Amino acid sequence: MRWRKREEVYGERRAALAVAVTTAKRAGWQGALWGLVFGGTIAASASAYAGLFPTAASRARMALSFQGNTAWAALFGPLRRLDTVAGYTVYKSGMTVIILGAIWGLLVATRVLRGEEDAGRWELFLSGQTTRGRAAVQAAIGLGVGFVALWVPTAVLTVATGMSPKVNIGIGASVFFVTSLLASAAMFMAIGMFVGQLAATRHDANLLGAGVLAASYLIRMAADSDASLAWLRWLSPLGWIEELRPLTGSRPFAFIPIVALVAVLVVVSIRVARQRDLGASALASRDTAKPRTLLLGGQAGLTVRLTRPLIAGWIFALFVTGLVFGLVAQAAGTAVRGARGLEEAIERLGGTTSGAASYLGFVFVIAAGLVAIAVAGQITAARNEEAAGHLDNLLVRPVARWRWLVVRLTVALGLVVVASVLAGFAAWLGAVSQHADVGLGDLLEAGLNVVPPAGFVLGIGGLAFGLWPRGAIGVVYGLVVWSFLVETIAAAFDSNHWLRDTSPLLHIAPVPAADPNWTAAAWLVALGLIAAALGVAAFGRRDLVGA
Amino acid sequence: METAIRTEHLSKTFGSTEALVDLNLEVQVGEVIGYLGPNGAGKTTTIRLLLGLIGATRGRAEIFGVDAQADPVRAHRRVAYVPGEASLWPSLTGTETLHLLGRVQGTVDTAYRDLLIQRFELDPSKKVRAYSKGNRQKVILIAGLMTRADLLLLDEPTSGLDPLMERAFRDCVAEARDRGQTVFLSSHILSEVEALCDRVAILRSGYLVEVGTLSEMRHLSALQVEAELDGAVPDLSTVPGVSALEVDGNRIRCQVTGPVEPLLTVLTRVGVRHLISREPSLEELFLAHYGADGSEGGSEDAVA
Repeated sequence: MRWRKREEVYGERRAALAVAVTTAKRAGWQGALWGLVFGGTIAASASAYAGLFPTAASRARMALSFQGNTAWAALFGPLRRLDTVAGYTVYKSGMTVIILGAIWGLLVATRVLRGEEDAGRWELFLSGQTTRGRAAVQAAIGLGVGFVALWVPTAVLTVATGMSPKVNIGIGASVFFVTSLLASAAMFMAIGMFVGQLAATRHDANLLGAGVLAASYLIRMAADSDASLAWLRWLSPLGWIEELRPLTGSRPFAFIPIVALVAVLVVVSIRVARQRDLGASALASRDTAKPRTLLLGGQAGLTVRLTRPLIAGWIFALFVTGLVFGLVAQAAGTAVRGARGLEEAIERLGGTTSGAASYLGFVFVIAAGLVAIAVAGQITAARNEEAAGHLDNLLVRPVARWRWLVVRLTVALGLVVVASVLAGFAAWLGAVSQHADVGLGDLLEAGLNVVPPAGFVLGIGGLAFGLWPRGAIGVVYGLVVWSFLVETIAAAFDSNHWLRDTSPLLHIAPVPAADPNWTAAAWLVALGLIAAALGVAAFGRRDLVGA
Repeated sequence: METAIRTEHLSKTFGSTEALVDLNLEVQVGEVIGYLGPNGAGKTTTIRLLLGLIGATRGRAEIFGVDAQADPVRAHRRVAYVPGEASLWPSLTGTETLHLLGRVQGTVDTAYRDLLIQRFELDPSKKVRAYSKGNRQKVILIAGLMTRADLLLLDEPTSGLDPLMERAFRDCVAEARDRGQTVFLSSHILSEVEALCDRVAILRSGYLVEVGTLSEMRHLSALQVEAELDGAVPDLSTVPGVSALEVDGNRIRCQVTGPVEPLLTVLTRVGVRHLISREPSLEELFLAHYGADGSEGGSEDAVA
């Protein structure tokens, strides 16, 4: 009897902590995975430095080429001590980890504190052994666990890399660096909690949070563009991270506003959650709208309408990426001239030209990877359409399955072509503004050159969708991650190594540093088409599968 | 007469679970048929097979003579489907959703659509994400009915609707029947089926166990008899067809299967003061197939 009683008490405790446990599990898994990605990014940046710039002279030349480049500083933050592995690591991985960490923190927090409520699941929790306020406290604890799960693998990988003799960064400095970068994730988790209480839907909360992130980035951008505006950094959460100056002159006092922001927002969010009615929000939601039926004449228009934010986001992101490539091409081309490792990497890819064109050829291979991620997003959208049951609404009407999938894949391909060409055009705009000697035709060709690998990924995604719907998202992102990974470590292999062949990204020539490899491009397109055709056929034969 | 739906040995297996076994069913044009069964009996599986959303393990399904599995697009031109749970695009408004679904279907009676919006008291300017469950169901109901399709496949269509709206739905189905449309109505609301349907098919654990008109099924089923006698109740246990006998003083209550005459002969010998007999309701017929606790087929939730 005594044992049974204990079991009941244990059960009650578990029930009372259900929100914390659920949140911690979800945020923990995601955090750990992103931690591996962030740790890997930092490790790859630090490790690559020694190979790319082996001599003190090459390091000094590289650092000199970036000196006074305000465009670069505005985009990536202040460039300090680039002639050291520490300075280079901050520049190479810092802003990427800061921005991605902020986005993840925001999304995971709004999902827990508004998305669950939107879906009606929060109601189920609140009908159990908890209250609105306690549930919010538990959610905050769960998010805290997620942050720790993010921090640990990032820190372990960074410390391990720092211990290598070539990198040689102390444990304390590594931990400070990781904590500084991941402060963005913590702050935007807190911001996500807060906007989740203000907005009526998760969608609106994400828009608010994204607005805060964009404003923070722009304020620090202005601060980093002109020394007289440096004080502006103190107005931006991302600026506070820059003020920490990890690895390049640590200033821990900048943690004060970071910790204060997190503490205040968490406390305020919990208070608001405790006081407001379930489903209510401080900001009214626009629940009604004038009908806009322009794109709702059929399935193709619907696909564009539904994925419009995704499409616009990717086109904008690739345009900006292209612009950044162009803006820094001249300076980077000079740096490349001094870096044997980079020159060798470009030669392995088939590049021959030097200077800005050489740099652009190298980075456009990276752009190909970004376009492949956009493709994976489109396969994800298609699968989500089926899993949510929305697709049923079309397929119970006179819409052929093959037609639906072909239209989806065509829209995705259209996105890839438009985004790639625009990336090439933007790169040209950026390059000519810096007086780089690169032609518009060459850069449009560079843009188009990234289409074949993305088309191949799209075909494989279509095949996976047709054969294994529940695994399609994993397959397509797996292929993209693998391709990135092989691309990252490709420098370690000779040009004939079989491992290189498994990445579609490494089958294209580094245009404009080299002429396009039409044969390889045709193969990628043909294989993509065959895979897509098989996927369409398989989709026609299988059952629709829910989530 | 043209056949709206014909299935021959239609079967579906999910892993080791037989969701539907050898379904042989014909629905004539203009007929309103009720499709009954507890959760997991295979009702939704049948409808998804008829729509070609899932493939048959064996057998054949035809809609107006078109193989619904091989050529679903042709079959769908004459079909409107209303699911029990509306999964609509949250970012579209009611108007946008109806516009889209009408354009995809190809035919819409716009005047009737506007009438339906009024009848179901729907505010179409709202976004789907702002609708309650009942209002989302109204959108999908209007989307199905506004097409005036020859065949309406309705899978628990009134789920989430209040009684007033349920009545509006019944009016719509009655109108559809009067216009000669065929209606295949899967429902748990037996009064709804009883009020609307010419025939009823009952499914149990994937098997079709009963199909016929309500009067046919009632004739085959036990008659409920209650009587008050002038004298002591005689021994009725040996009377042919009598079952479920309850005796309370000189009152009796029992069920009679087959001719009622033998029971009347015995009772009139004693003298009958008062007698009521009535046919079983659809609910009683339904429960007779599953037992009062409805426990049959409960293991098949996964396939519904």
